[in-house]
Amino acid sequence: MIAFEHVGKRYGGRFEALAHLNFRIARGEMVFLTGHSGAGKSSLLRLVMRLEKPSRGRVVVAGHDIAQLHASQVPFYRRQIGVVFQDHQLLFDRSIFHNVSLPLEIQGVEPRESARRVRAALDKVGLLHREKALPIELSGGEQQRVGIARAVVNKPALLLADEPTGNLDPQLSADIMALFEDFNRIGTTVMIASHDLALIARLRHRILRLSDGRLVADEGAV
Amino acid sequence: MKPSTTPKRRQGSALNTSAKKTAVDKAAPRGARSQQTRFVSRLRAWGRHHRSMAWDSFQRLVRYPIGNLLTMLAIAIALVLPAALWLTLDSARLLDAELDESATLTVYLELAADEAQALRIEEAVNAEQSVLETQLISAEQGMADFQQALGLDDALAGLENNPLPISIVVRPANVDPAAMQQLANTLEAFSGVDEVRVDLAWVERLRNLAELGRRVALALGVLFGLGVLLVVGNTIRLSVESRRREIEVVMLIGATHAFVRRPFLYSGAWYGLGGGLLALGLLGVGNHWLSLPVAALAASYGASFSMPQLDVTGSTILLSCSTLLGWLGAWMAVTRHLSSMRPR
Repeated sequence: MIAFEHVGKRYGGRFEALAHLNFRIARGEMVFLTGHSGAGKSSLLRLVMRLEKPSRGRVVVAGHDIAQLHASQVPFYRRQIGVVFQDHQLLFDRSIFHNVSLPLEIQGVEPRESARRVRAALDKVGLLHREKALPIELSGGEQQRVGIARAVVNKPALLLADEPTGNLDPQLSADIMALFEDFNRIGTTVMIASHDLALIARLRHRILRLSDGRLVADEGAV
Repeated sequence: MKPSTTPKRRQGSALNTSAKKTAVDKAAPRGARSQQTRFVSRLRAWGRHHRSMAWDSFQRLVRYPIGNLLTMLAIAIALVLPAALWLTLDSARLLDAELDESATLTVYLELAADEAQALRIEEAVNAEQSVLETQLISAEQGMADFQQALGLDDALAGLENNPLPISIVVRPANVDPAAMQQLANTLEAFSGVDEVRVDLAWVERLRNLAELGRRVALALGVLFGLGVLLVVGNTIRLSVESRRREIEVVMLIGATHAFVRRPFLYSGAWYGLGGGLLALGLLGVGNHWLSLPVAALAASYGASFSMPQLDVTGSTILLSCSTLLGWLGAWMAVTRHLSSMRPR
């Protein structure tokens, strides 16, 4: 599903955020990306999302070198990836329902079909009863679940998450991770950046460990 | 890179195959028919988004009526001046048509020519192809006109003989200066004709004046059109800035530039349309306000002159132009802004 081939990323010519990255993630795999802050986890996810292009090497997703995508094709590429952000990136002037329906609105899904899928996604994260609420009325954990619902509402084949449990207590974090495992179980490839080592060690999935932009360990690969 | 759509489509299918099939995937028909239905449904989605954005941007406009009204007023003022000038010139064009009718040649016969001779000459002149009609003015009639024009009854009454010749006023078919001059030369060669006068100079002057006015109006129109672009552009720039977060989020989850641009384009078009309507209103008010003194002034010259009004066509043109300018201003502002915007 994802292949990094000799990938390097420099910012501003000097600072090397990522170097010599080589790894593959198979379809349907669930992978944790870990390392201290500044190790390059976010940079790596940004490369996969095609928010940035690598300075060296190739990032291949579903068989395509995504650096080759034309700017006009990038939106269509992004629609196929669900992304959960640490700071949720919700729109605070819209209801939970509208936040979750945003990806479907962008893709022009017919409203009735869209409503059905939004409710299904909200139901999955256990927030169906809050669909009319505004994000501000929700707790941090609930906001994160709205973010997840939005990421999965159009059934992406690839789900990325950047520190999805960053500000949550252990119980909520475990719940969120269980949600990701659910999505992985139905075939979604999941890649989660997290520094919650205790939690991810318990979950027994593959772990990619980054340090100073280099891959220093690849544990638990199948 | 080639503007081909195949890579993203292939990519799409490659990605999708891995996902467990959803109800939608199963429901989606395959093959040639599915291409067609997909096109139709995409077209529908496109129309739906247009409708919802048009309505949404209209509601945003209504939500802050004072500020938006001020923007539209600025647009209206920028539109009123060139529009008013254009209207004035339009009425000058009507005047021009009247001038054409008054463009004449005056053929003065020799003093010795008598009435019978004059009639013969008039007939000959009339036979000319480029002559529309003629009017014979006897020496007495000429004198009477002269007296009336100068108000010199007494001084002229003292003259023993009428010093004025019989004259023929000729209305040419072609009022083009060159053609009139040529006709004058032809008529001058007739026997019994003393002199032919072409009353052209002031017609020419008026024409040049009108042409000058037209060019000034055009230049002003272009300048003030640019003004409208700037007003709308600036307003939209601020509104893009205030919705920056929203734009970044939707771009992050796969919105195209066209999708992001759409609501702002509608806002721009609404601003333009509103400004155009206000401009129409201002023109109407100005018209009403000026009509009395203008009528009085015209009456004092013994003429009737009604203020020019924008007809349906003119109003439509004004509204289309202002809407288009608003749209264009918004497009430039958003496009310039989008290129600088990168999702975090």
